[in-house]
Amino acid sequence: MSAATTSNSPGKWVVLPHYAFAALAFVALSVLLLFSTDAFSGHYFHPKLLTLTHVAALGWATMLIFGALYQLLPVVLECKLYSEKLATAAFGFLGIGTILLGWSFWHFELGWVLHVAACSLVISFTLFNINVVQTARKAPKWTIESDFIVTSAIWLLVTGLVGLLMAVNFTMPFLPVEHTHYLKLHAHIGMAGWFLLLIIGVGSKLIPMFLLAHHEDTKKLNWSYNLINAGLILFILDHLLFHTSLLPVYAVLVIAGVALFLLYLRDAAKTRQRQDLDLDLGMKQTFVSLALLLLPLVLVLVVSSKLELPQLLLSSVYLVYGISVFFGFISALILGQTFKTLPFIVWMHAYEGYVGRFKTPLPKDLYSHTILRWQNISYLLGFILLVAGVLLRSEQLILGGAIGFTITSLLYTANVFHLLLHKVHDLKPFTYGNAKAA
Amino acid sequence: METQKLPEDFGQEVFETLKYIIDPEVGINIVDLGLVYEVSLSEEGELTVDLTLTTPGCPMSGTIKTATEQILLKRFPSLNVKINLVWSPPWSTDMITEEGMRQLEGKV
Repeated sequence: MSAATTSNSPGKWVVLPHYAFAALAFVALSVLLLFSTDAFSGHYFHPKLLTLTHVAALGWATMLIFGALYQLLPVVLECKLYSEKLATAAFGFLGIGTILLGWSFWHFELGWVLHVAACSLVISFTLFNINVVQTARKAPKWTIESDFIVTSAIWLLVTGLVGLLMAVNFTMPFLPVEHTHYLKLHAHIGMAGWFLLLIIGVGSKLIPMFLLAHHEDTKKLNWSYNLINAGLILFILDHLLFHTSLLPVYAVLVIAGVALFLLYLRDAAKTRQRQDLDLDLGMKQTFVSLALLLLPLVLVLVVSSKLELPQLLLSSVYLVYGISVFFGFISALILGQTFKTLPFIVWMHAYEGYVGRFKTPLPKDLYSHTILRWQNISYLLGFILLVAGVLLRSEQLILGGAIGFTITSLLYTANVFHLLLHKVHDLKPFTYGNAKAA
Repeated sequence: METQKLPEDFGQEVFETLKYIIDPEVGINIVDLGLVYEVSLSEEGELTVDLTLTTPGCPMSGTIKTATEQILLKRFPSLNVKINLVWSPPWSTDMITEEGMRQLEGKV
């Protein structure tokens, strides 16, 4: 039998602040949404929509992904994180950059504050890249999951660099074409290159693990990686150089890549020993997010096909496309996966010294399942109302959606901080026969 | 080092003791989850346990290994305890006991 190594987990101060910041950013995002119901009636290049998108993408999603990834990277790559100091520095730059960027867009002041914010974010992404690449280099074997994760980190840096160029271009115009041209590039590299690849890379390892399913054949994942990257690179080249009408083809490549990932998960789920097991709330929410992924996949075809739709409807479709990515798929996934990862991380740091000597609670005992259930319900209602409100151009429905998201964010944050502030108390020692634990 | 076959009662006691250690993610004890591959006792009084985890790279590796060592030292203070974390053969759901499957219902 081959010997194995001991735990590769990083310290809790590397990981947990990311969860705290992300939860507060989600509350801020929802409150900002309450005050942005008037912003959904026109073009997506709107100060409030830019603020919402960047708070969602950076403060909420990227912040939480950074934190979770520092914990999960050693699981996926089977080696220790390269540097905890780099992770802490990346957290600081990401936090500062997000706050300054949100402030700049909300007040639409596009001067030095925006430049500092963009520089801070690029520094954060660079440090994150160094950490991910160096960690992957130490991995005992290179897997398709490593490809997904490392490539996604590189795309994140590219997204940040394009954003920085656009930020500078606001005050010192030098880019040859109008701003929205690059905004499309910036958004799609971020959505498909960073979020999608990263989520597939980590999800393809963790979702089967949480289902107690083992699936070795990674052909579908290999093709998924190739198709998504091919679609994205062809889109970038076409968008910058050729301006053909082939955008739907590139969209189909990305959609096919996602479909293969979903088929991989289906194959893995088939290998579960028992098919009749109940899923916990975190996994149910994860599957809700995978179902919600279908919406942006359909909409990317619509927005790339240049259909002869009425201008107002087309504007709404563009907005719903963005909403379905950040408020739909990504938010739903985080709302579910937080309660598959955070309780475990908190439990491990709180109880690892007591396991085997004292009766300890389980990770699932450390948070409120009732709050989680209501969080998931209010989220789904909020999302449906928001999408309906944008499509029907109803400010009342949008407000209803914003209220749903605010309730969701408060329930989520209450549960997250309940976990983060968890303290060990009154543990009873094990007793076996006449022996007693000290 | 010579290893000896465990007296039946003693072996049973070791496994019953290890059932106190619950895999925190799955919520089932490590014996019924099929993570304990082998238990042996040497003539010198060294109790050796070969243990695996549900997946390589599992962040619980250190915790479960230490917990196994601690609980056996408390239960059998006169023995030296050695825990080997092993990956071969890889764990699969086929290794879950019937009791483990029963407990698993509604927990995954």
